[in-house]
Amino acid sequence: MSRQENGAASFVKSMWHRFANYGSIDIWFLIIVLALLCTGLVMMFSASYPYAQIMYGDSTNFIKKQALYAVIGIVIMFAMSHIKSDFWRLMMPVVSGVTIFLLLIVFVLPQYRAGFYRWINLGFTTFQPSEIAKFAVIVAGAYYYSKYHKKMSSSKVAKGGWAGLVNNKIGAGLIKESWVPTWMFCLFFGGCSILVFLENHLSGCILIFGIGAVMMYLGGVRTRWFVIFGSIGIGLIAIVCIYIMATRDAEGTNFLKGYMEERIVGWLDKDYDPRGVRWQTNQALYAIGSGGFFGKGLGNSTQKYMYVSEPQNDMIFSIVCEELGFAGATIIILLFILLVYRGVVIGLNAKTRFSTMLAMGLVFQVGLQVLLNIAVASDSIPNTGISLPFFSYGGTSLVMLLAEMGIVLGVSREGKLKKK
Amino acid sequence: MKAAVNYNKRGFYALIIVAILAFAIICRLAYLQLVKGDEYTAKTESQQLGDNEIKASRGTIYDSNMNILAQSASVWSVYINPSKINKISDEAEREETREVIISGLATLLELDEEKVRKYTEKNYSYQLVKGEIEKDTRDAILAFIDEYEDRDENPLDLSSIIGIDPDVKRYYPYSSLASTVIGFTGSDGDGLAGIEYYYNETLKGVSGRTITALNGNGTVMPNQYETIYEAQEGTSLVLTLDIYIQHILEDVLSRALEDTRAENVYGIVMEVDTGAILGMVSLPDYDLNDPFTISSEDLLSDYEEISAMSVEELTENDIPQEQTNKSYYRNVQWSNRAIVNTYEPGSVFKIITAAASIEEGLSDTTREFYCGGSIDYATRHINCWRTSGHGSETFYDLLKNSCNPFAVTLADELGTSRFYDYFEAFGFTEKTGVDTAGDLTPTEGVLFMSREDFSKSDLASYSFGQSFQVSPLQMITAVSAVANGGKLMTPYLVSKELDAEGNTVREAVPTVRRQVISESTAQLICDNMEQVVATGTGKNAYVAGYHVAGKTGTSEKLVVNNKKDTEAYIASFCGFAPANDPEIAVIIIVDEPVGDHGGGAVAAPLAGDVIEQVLMYLGVEHAYTADEMENLVETAPDLKGLSVPDARNKVGEKNLTIKVIGEGDTVISQYPEAGRELPSDGIVVVYTQPDYKAETVTVPDFTGLTVSEANRIALNNGLNIRISGSSLNSGTVYAYKQSVEAGQSVHMGEIITVSFKTTVGVAD
Repeated sequence: MSRQENGAASFVKSMWHRFANYGSIDIWFLIIVLALLCTGLVMMFSASYPYAQIMYGDSTNFIKKQALYAVIGIVIMFAMSHIKSDFWRLMMPVVSGVTIFLLLIVFVLPQYRAGFYRWINLGFTTFQPSEIAKFAVIVAGAYYYSKYHKKMSSSKVAKGGWAGLVNNKIGAGLIKESWVPTWMFCLFFGGCSILVFLENHLSGCILIFGIGAVMMYLGGVRTRWFVIFGSIGIGLIAIVCIYIMATRDAEGTNFLKGYMEERIVGWLDKDYDPRGVRWQTNQALYAIGSGGFFGKGLGNSTQKYMYVSEPQNDMIFSIVCEELGFAGATIIILLFILLVYRGVVIGLNAKTRFSTMLAMGLVFQVGLQVLLNIAVASDSIPNTGISLPFFSYGGTSLVMLLAEMGIVLGVSREGKLKKK
Repeated sequence: MKAAVNYNKRGFYALIIVAILAFAIICRLAYLQLVKGDEYTAKTESQQLGDNEIKASRGTIYDSNMNILAQSASVWSVYINPSKINKISDEAEREETREVIISGLATLLELDEEKVRKYTEKNYSYQLVKGEIEKDTRDAILAFIDEYEDRDENPLDLSSIIGIDPDVKRYYPYSSLASTVIGFTGSDGDGLAGIEYYYNETLKGVSGRTITALNGNGTVMPNQYETIYEAQEGTSLVLTLDIYIQHILEDVLSRALEDTRAENVYGIVMEVDTGAILGMVSLPDYDLNDPFTISSEDLLSDYEEISAMSVEELTENDIPQEQTNKSYYRNVQWSNRAIVNTYEPGSVFKIITAAASIEEGLSDTTREFYCGGSIDYATRHINCWRTSGHGSETFYDLLKNSCNPFAVTLADELGTSRFYDYFEAFGFTEKTGVDTAGDLTPTEGVLFMSREDFSKSDLASYSFGQSFQVSPLQMITAVSAVANGGKLMTPYLVSKELDAEGNTVREAVPTVRRQVISESTAQLICDNMEQVVATGTGKNAYVAGYHVAGKTGTSEKLVVNNKKDTEAYIASFCGFAPANDPEIAVIIIVDEPVGDHGGGAVAAPLAGDVIEQVLMYLGVEHAYTADEMENLVETAPDLKGLSVPDARNKVGEKNLTIKVIGEGDTVISQYPEAGRELPSDGIVVVYTQPDYKAETVTVPDFTGLTVSEANRIALNNGLNIRISGSSLNSGTVYAYKQSVEAGQSVHMGEIITVSFKTTVGVAD
C-alpha cells in the first residue's frame, strides 16, 4: 500500500482489505432464507392476483415488482455477506446520524398520504425511515453493549465520562457503571421511537421499542429490570384498555389518536364496528377459519377476492392460512423459528461480541415482526400495520430485509461455526 | 473473572421466549382453524353467496273488454354517492364535479338545483335523487355521464358517483275509475288494497334468483358456480267490471254526492244470473296513481279543520282523536264501502219477508191486510211510516206501500225460527265469498242476533229491516236471488286469469250457493217489485221501456259520525231490470244525505238513471207498454227529396210537427236525421234551400218543470225532449236533470233527454 497511488483507488483498496470477508457462509441459514423467500413470493402472488386484476387490470402487477426486488435483494444480500461485521461497528455513528436525519426530514417533506409523515418518496419507490431506524437500533445496541460489556456485571458507581459527572453533581452513587450503556442506548432508541410515534406510525414505534428491549436483554441488562418494567408496562396497558372501554362513549376523553382507540375498542369488543373498524380483522378471521387443517389448496382462497383488503400486505398470513391450512401455517411459523434459531447459533459462534449481538438482533427483529404480524392477523392483539417478512408486498423493505440477512451471513463467515 | 455477559444464556432464553410466543400463536390458529373452522367457513360462504332476486313482472288487470286497468312498467331510480364527491382530493376537480352533477341532474330530472346541491353535500354513500324516471330520462342521464367521462380535457368520473337502478312502477290508466275496487301497490310492489291485495300472490308471480359467488365488491367471482332460477311472470286478471258501466255508475253517483251533500255514496251493478259484478263504486275515492294524496276536497277540508283543532275542541265536538291523523282520511278514501260498510237495510228487506211468506205458503196474491198506521206486537208499539195508515191492502201493497204492520204480521206468521231460516238462507249471516279484500264477516251478536237470542221483538224489527246490519253486497246478492229465480250466487270480480302468453289459466264459474226460494215465488216477488217502481215508493226509478223492479229503503243511522247536528239517514234503493227477464241488479246507497233522505226520493232516481244507461249500453231492447207507447217514441221519417207538401203529410201521419225553413219546394236536409227516436209529439226541422244555414237555438232550463210544461217549452223552442225517469203520474213529477245544460246552443230539432222524478209517495 503506497501513498503515491491514486487517492480514491487506494482508499477503496485499503477498505477492501480491511472489510472484505472471504470466509464461507452458513449454508443452513442461507437455505432457510431462500426457502422463506420462495414461499413468500409464491404466496404473495397467490394472495395478490385477484386484487391486482380488479384494481390494476393486471394480475401480475405486484408479483412482477416483488420478484424484481427479490433478485436485487439477493444480490445485495450476497454483497453484504462479504462485509466484515466490524464495518458496521465503525459505521454506528453514521447509521445513527442518518437515521435521526431521515426521521426528522419526513416532517418537512410533502406528505405521501394525508396525515402520515412516515414515507419518503423517492419517485420510483417509497420507503419508510423507520425501516432504517430498526436497523440503526440493532447496530447501536450491539455497539454499546459490546463496548461496555465488561461493566454490565459490575455494581460499581460510575466514575468517568458523563455518568461520573452526573454522579458528582447530584451526589455519589446514582448511576452505576453497568447502567451506562443502557442510558446511552435508551437515549438513542427512545428518541427514535418517539420520532416514529410522532410520524403517526404506531406499529413502527412498537417494533423499535421491542427491538430495543431485545437488544438490552441480549446485552445483559439484569432480568429483574425486565420483570419490573414489563409488569409496569402490562399494568399500564391494562389500565389504558379499561379506561378506553369505560369512556368509549364519552366525548373528549380520548388521549390516543381516534383510530388507535377505535382499534383497541374493536379488539376488546368484537361487535364494535363503526365505519368497518373490524371489517379487515373479521375478514382475516374468516379466511383463517375457513382454511381448516389442510387448507383450500394453493390459489383457492376465496377471501382474497376483495374481502381481505389488500391481501398482499399485512393480512397476507390469513390467506396463507386459508390456502395452506393449519398444517401449512404451522410449517411456515416453524421455518421462521428455525431462522431465528440459526441466527442465534451464528451469533453465538461469532468472532466478536458486536457481531454476536448484531446477528441475534437482526434475526430477533424478524421473529418479533412475525409474531406481531400473525398476532394481528389472528386477532390476538389490536390491529396495527406490521408486515410479514418475506411475504408482504413491499420492494424496499424486502431489499432491506435481504440485506440484513446478508449481514447475518457475513457474521457467519467470520465465525467459528463448523462449516460444511 | 466470569464472562461479563453470558450470550449463550441470553440468546437461548430469548429464543425460548420467541418459541413460546410462536407456540401460543399456533394454538390460537388451531383454535381458529380447527375448533371454529366450520363457523368461519359458514360465514365466509354466506357473505360470498350472491343471491339476486329477479323480479317477476306483475300481472296486468283488465276490465271485461280487455281495457287495461292496471299495468306495470319498467322505470328507473337515480341515486348518487355524495361521499365519493367529497373524497375527491383536488379541490378544483371536486367543485367542478359537484357543479356538473348539480346542473346536469337538476335539468334532466326537473329538480330544484338547491335540493340537488344539498344531496351532494351529504356524507352518505347512497342518496336517492329521484325515483320512477322513464326510459328517455334514464338514457339522457347515461348520455350525460358519458359526455363528461369521455371528454378529452379533464374527464370526470361520473359513473362512480351517479347510479341508476331498475325499478317497477304500477300505472293505472283510468286514475280514479274503480279505484276502491282495484286497489294499489306499495313501494315493495305488493298490493295494499282491493284486487291488488286479494290477488297479490297471483299477480305477483314468482321471483327468480341468480345464485353466484361474489367477491368483496359484490361482483361475480370468476370461475365459480352460478345458478339461475327463472322468474315466473305474474298472472293477469280479467275483471267482470266493465269500464263503461263503471263510468255510468260513477257519473251518476258523483253527481249525487254533490247534489245530496252526503258523506258517502256507493253502489253496485251486478249480473243477476251469475253474480258477476259489472260495476262497483264507492265515493269519495282517490287517484290510484297517487293513493296517498287525499283526493276529495271535502275530505281534505275536514282533515285540515279537524287536525287544527285543540284537544278541548275535539272533546267538545265528540270527534275521536284518530280523525286528526291523515291516515284516517286515507283509509276513508281507500275503503270500498260497497263491500265493507254495514247499514240497516230498512224496507228493502221487506222483499225477503214477503218472499219467505209466499215460499212457506202463508200468503198468496189474494192476501188482504188492513193497515191502521201502527201495530202492537210483542210488547212493542210499531208505527207504519205513514202514520195515518194505508187502510185496506192486498199482498201487492206490502212492498208498494212499504207497509210496516203488514211486514210484522207476515213475520209473526212465519215465527222466529222459520224467519231466521230465510235470514240465513239469503246469506246475511255469512260472508258473500267475493274475491276481493274486505268481504264483510258478519259478526253474530254484533251485526245480527244469534238464532238462540232471536226474540219476537227482534222478529218484528227484522221484518222491516231494522236493528241489524248488512253490507250492500250482501243485500244486492240477496235481491239478485229473487231476480234470477231463487239462486243465491257467490259474487265475483275476476272472470279470468291469463298467463304471460295470454292463455286462460283459470276461468271463473258462476257459483250457486243454494236455491233459496222457488222460481214461482221469485217470479211473484219480481212482479211485486215491478209494481213498487211502476206505482209505489220506487217510482223515481222508473225507466220507460225497461220494466224496472225494485224496493226503496230508508234507515236512521244509529252511529252518527259527522259534524252535522241532525239525524243521519241512509237512503237506499235495490232493484233490477228488466223485470220480465232480469239482467242486471243495482244497489245504490246514499249515506247521510242532506235534505231529502227517503230512499224513494234520493236513491231511486239514481238507480233509474243507472239502469237506463246500462241497459242501453248492453243493448237490451226497449219493451214499451201501451201507455208508454202513447207517450213516447216515434222514429223520424226520411223526408229528403220529398216535396214540401208530401213531407208535411208524412210527418202528419205520425202526429209529429214539422218546421219548414227556406223558400224551396223540396226537402234538402232534415234534423233530426231519419231513423232517430223522437217523442211522439216531437218536431222535425226541414231545410228546402241548397244554401241553407242550420238554425240553432239556446237550450232552456227545464229543471223543476212538470212533464207538460217541459213539453210546451221544448216545442216553443223548436226542440224535442225525451222524457226519462218517472213520468206516469205526470202531475207530480218534476224535471231534475237534462242531458244538455241550459244556455247551450244546439241544432233546432235536437233531442234533449230530461229526467223527471217525483216527491210524492216516495218517502220510504
